[in-house]
Amino acid sequence: MPDPTTVPAATPHLQLVNVWKRFGEEPQQTIAVRNVDLSIEPGAFVTLIGPSGCGKSTLFSMIAGLLPPDSDGSLLLKGKVQQDGAMLGKIAFMPQRDLLFPWRTVLDNATLALEVEGMPRRKARAKAEALFPEFGLGGFEQHYPHQLSGGMRQRVALMRTFLFERDLILLDEPFGALDALTRSMMQRWLLDIWAKHRRTVLFITHDIDEAIFLGDKVVVMTARPGTIKCEEVITLPRPRDPGVVTTPEFMAIKKELLAVVEEESLKTFAAVPA
Amino acid sequence: MARGLKFLRSAWPVVAALALLLLLWQFGAAALDIPTYILPRPAEITVTAVAKWPLLGNALMVTLIEAIGGFLLGAAIGIVLAVLMILVPPLEALLMPIAVVINAVPSIAFVPLVLLWFGLGMESKIAIGALAVVLVVLLNLLAGLKRPEADAINLMRSFGAGRVGILWRLQLPAAMPGLVTGLRVGLARSTIAVIVAEMMGAYSGIGQVIYQATGQVDYLTVWAAVFVASLGSLALYGVLVAIDRKLVWWR
Ligand SMILES: Nc1ncnc2c1ncn2[C@@H]1O[C@H](COP(=O)(O)OP(=O)(O)OP(=O)(O)O)[C@@H](O)[C@H]1O
Ligand SMILES: [Mg+2]
Repeated sequence: MPDPTTVPAATPHLQLVNVWKRFGEEPQQTIAVRNVDLSIEPGAFVTLIGPSGCGKSTLFSMIAGLLPPDSDGSLLLKGKVQQDGAMLGKIAFMPQRDLLFPWRTVLDNATLALEVEGMPRRKARAKAEALFPEFGLGGFEQHYPHQLSGGMRQRVALMRTFLFERDLILLDEPFGALDALTRSMMQRWLLDIWAKHRRTVLFITHDIDEAIFLGDKVVVMTARPGTIKCEEVITLPRPRDPGVVTTPEFMAIKKELLAVVEEESLKTFAAVPA
Repeated sequence: MARGLKFLRSAWPVVAALALLLLLWQFGAAALDIPTYILPRPAEITVTAVAKWPLLGNALMVTLIEAIGGFLLGAAIGIVLAVLMILVPPLEALLMPIAVVINAVPSIAFVPLVLLWFGLGMESKIAIGALAVVLVVLLNLLAGLKRPEADAINLMRSFGAGRVGILWRLQLPAAMPGLVTGLRVGLARSTIAVIVAEMMGAYSGIGQVIYQATGQVDYLTVWAAVFVASLGSLALYGVLVAIDRKLVWWR
């Protein structure tokens, strides 16, 4: 439950009201995001799923303050309207690509955000070093990114995001490059961290199992131009153990969501211009 | 001890190639019966270089100081200009055309003017050396500073980084390989410009030695000066390679 002293229970942590994003001018305009209304409760874990190219990453860029939404809509953080770029520095954002800096060691990549915040290097390093075993990266502190596997790089990027301590976290397919085993380990680990710190998490994935297993709510987006197709509240009890994915309740939700997601994915491919 | 060994290991191909060239020259010229006044033999040139060392060594010293001075000054100006242009984009639009116009003329063409303004001493050579370096460092560094993609810049912005933070933690490190290229080309240019400028008017320096020896039809001394200058450039280049490794430390 959110802490009632900091955020009144009635105010959503994040609210999107009629958010649009159009790229380019008519007639070659691409509408990436269309009429998105979304409300995220404080401390909630919300997963976002939708066909490739439907505007999920674009939506994240707008929430992070990197891309202004079109003027028709607005973005509210804890009930306050956020103008251009006001979200910069307020949200921990992990982009789809790891974007590790090749000239920094793994340790110094992890501390990047802390350094930008002005924390002394030594303190930042000490703080990051403590997390290495937990992220399965123990012993790789002094390696350079080109010496890591894709999955390890993604975990470094995830660690960099976590060290930037903000109460709203945006994760764009953080486990996309992981093998099934590491992935399920990281999922449970993420839930532990989330349960401990109760930060609000918005999580993009292509994997329906992952969306259901992690989320309090699964938000399904339509094919481009992306808008919200439906929201499914997941009431599976927490803490969730990996066995939950074989329960009939889980299967029922999955079946329902699969049908919706499949329908939208088919549209993406049917819409290929001649 | 270990450092010496490492140096030997990286330097031996250069030494071997030079030795091979000199041997081919020495015996090839003899075999083809080329008269020594057209192409003196390396052994002769070396003897001359040793005999004239007080003159040549002093000239080399002057030339190296001028070349390094011009290089450092030009590189510093190029680096400052590139950083300013990144921080204040209108400056690039304003200054770049001027820089390109100046660069379209070979820097050697400015020697008479520079001699007029700065005299026959070292200052004029340093100025010409700097002129030869500024633009190549500026262009390479500027291209490097612009290399980071929008996504990486956005990552920094999302952490709340401002212009200077992005420059310091992202753009400058990303530009190091470009800067290294600029520095290498710049050093060669500065050395050439300085020697040519010395030939056109100077009190001392390798270029001046070559000029005077030519006037006295003393071609052995000309060759000896060329040898000494080549050795000097080689040493400079070695120092620069070592600096480059420090600038691009992560490779
Ligand atoms: N800067 C841009 N200029 C023009 N079009 C863009 C731009 N950024 C994104 N788009 C378009 O917006 C649409 C949505 O892109 P986005 O990256 O948000 O999709 P996504 O849902 O994250 O896809 P994926 O699941 O493959 O990562 C795409 O059709 C893309 O071509
Ligand atoms: Mg995406």
